[in-house]
Amino acid sequence: MSAALHAVPDPHPHPGQVDADLIGAAVHFPREGSESLRGPAPDDLAAHVQRFGPRPSALGSAGPALVETVESIALTGRGGAHFPAAIKWRGVIAAGGGGTVIANGSEGEPLAAKDAALLQLRPHLVLDGLVSAAEAVGSFDLVVWLHEGAQATYRAVVQAIDERRAAGLVEPRIRVLTGPARYLTGESSAVVRALNGGPTLPELTRVLPVISGVNGRPTLLHNAETLARVGIAARTGPTGYRPTSLLTVVTGGQRTVVEVEPSVTFGDVVAQIGPYAVAGTPQAMLLGGYGGSWVSWSDAAGLAVDQPALKAAGLSLGAAVVAPIPSNTCGLVETARIAQYLADSGARQCGPCLFGLRSVAELVWALADCDVGRSELKRLDRFMGEIAGRGACAHPDGALRMVASALDVFADDVRAHRKGRCVTGRTLKVIPVPEVRT
Amino acid sequence: MSRDVLPGGASARRAREVTTVGRPTAGWQLRVDPLACDGIGICSHLAPDLISVDSWGYPIIPRRALGDRELRSAQAAVTACPRRALFLQPPG
Repeated sequence: MSAALHAVPDPHPHPGQVDADLIGAAVHFPREGSESLRGPAPDDLAAHVQRFGPRPSALGSAGPALVETVESIALTGRGGAHFPAAIKWRGVIAAGGGGTVIANGSEGEPLAAKDAALLQLRPHLVLDGLVSAAEAVGSFDLVVWLHEGAQATYRAVVQAIDERRAAGLVEPRIRVLTGPARYLTGESSAVVRALNGGPTLPELTRVLPVISGVNGRPTLLHNAETLARVGIAARTGPTGYRPTSLLTVVTGGQRTVVEVEPSVTFGDVVAQIGPYAVAGTPQAMLLGGYGGSWVSWSDAAGLAVDQPALKAAGLSLGAAVVAPIPSNTCGLVETARIAQYLADSGARQCGPCLFGLRSVAELVWALADCDVGRSELKRLDRFMGEIAGRGACAHPDGALRMVASALDVFADDVRAHRKGRCVTGRTLKVIPVPEVRT
Repeated sequence: MSRDVLPGGASARRAREVTTVGRPTAGWQLRVDPLACDGIGICSHLAPDLISVDSWGYPIIPRRALGDRELRSAQAAVTACPRRALFLQPPG
């Protein structure tokens, strides 16, 4: 991996200086699944402490100081929503503190592998962040939430917890719990509902979980990467923290997790990974995951991999998936495949999502198949307007965002398909889309 | 359908405890729990000024504070919903 792509890891960290990299090198994953193929060696507790130093306590006055640090580095939720972490922490503290703190590593987005990479290679960094967050908000109920079937991740986390216990680290017990291997298992209200003894399905959030979540107590739920960043920031303080991003780059048959400095562009990233290094530039990329946005390559190439910059451009890193497609692919076919997956992956609880996304997926397939006229496109537009904002969770809105961005980015293809011809031939399917198990 | 989306189930009880603090006044919002809603449609007949239905028969409810007159029809809809899916939520 070249220095431009990745924060240069100092091979000989100076004494007292914290290595601020989360992973340190690219991690490779297969097209599907969450078991890493190759990457840097996993850190056991000894290697972890040698790399990062011991975890500083966040008890007493160190708690408010850590909240200040989290606020001053503008840490946002890396599960995809990018909500400011400090606001959640202050919400829990204002509600009386205590309760449950959850490290969400279930990563339901099929394209994403960054949390699997972190939990398999740097589990102690995530656990450090979990323990520090719990100390700062006064919680003694610590949970790591994972997907069933994410065997390698589960083993790494359990082994790390065993190592911590054997080493006699003074910290509350950490429970590892799993939910079914479905798209929505990591949705925050589904996690809270499951921990309350209900089904692992989203529900309408009437009261914020930071006020009343697990067992009606304040509940702090963070994505695994968010907590790994807490683990780093607790050591570096605000000045030494580097605001990198972990990306899952989906190219051809494989996925690569890389850590990227905010000055690096998506053009730099894609040029150095996978087939695009040799086979010319892509036409567009899907940014953020299935519920993210398509961005034309002419817009994307020069964009910095930096959430604040993306936000200013009306975009979001989302779940930090970057999936470019080549120019001989039909963006509308890719969109229809993903829209179908999202429609099939709903919880089947809310009418507007259950019936609405199904209808949207049908119309997008008709569009992909060059089988639409003006009235179908108008109907698609009307359906999308009707569904927006009406699910119990954000699932339908993510699907709508992805479809809406496709209609915009692939506007030329929409025109051609309406006339009954596809420029690309519609044969090549590039984005991995798994079968939905029901 | 899961057990606790039925009327009077745990989630409905919790919702009533949490959201029916004080008497609803102008400024409250009408909301629907889409898990509980079965698209029966009584609400849109009782509060046609406020509630329309989508292409599949589910209610579309404006995301804004209610005025005095709207509050009365909203309360009628809340009371009449056979799934107890509608509720009034105070501002904030």
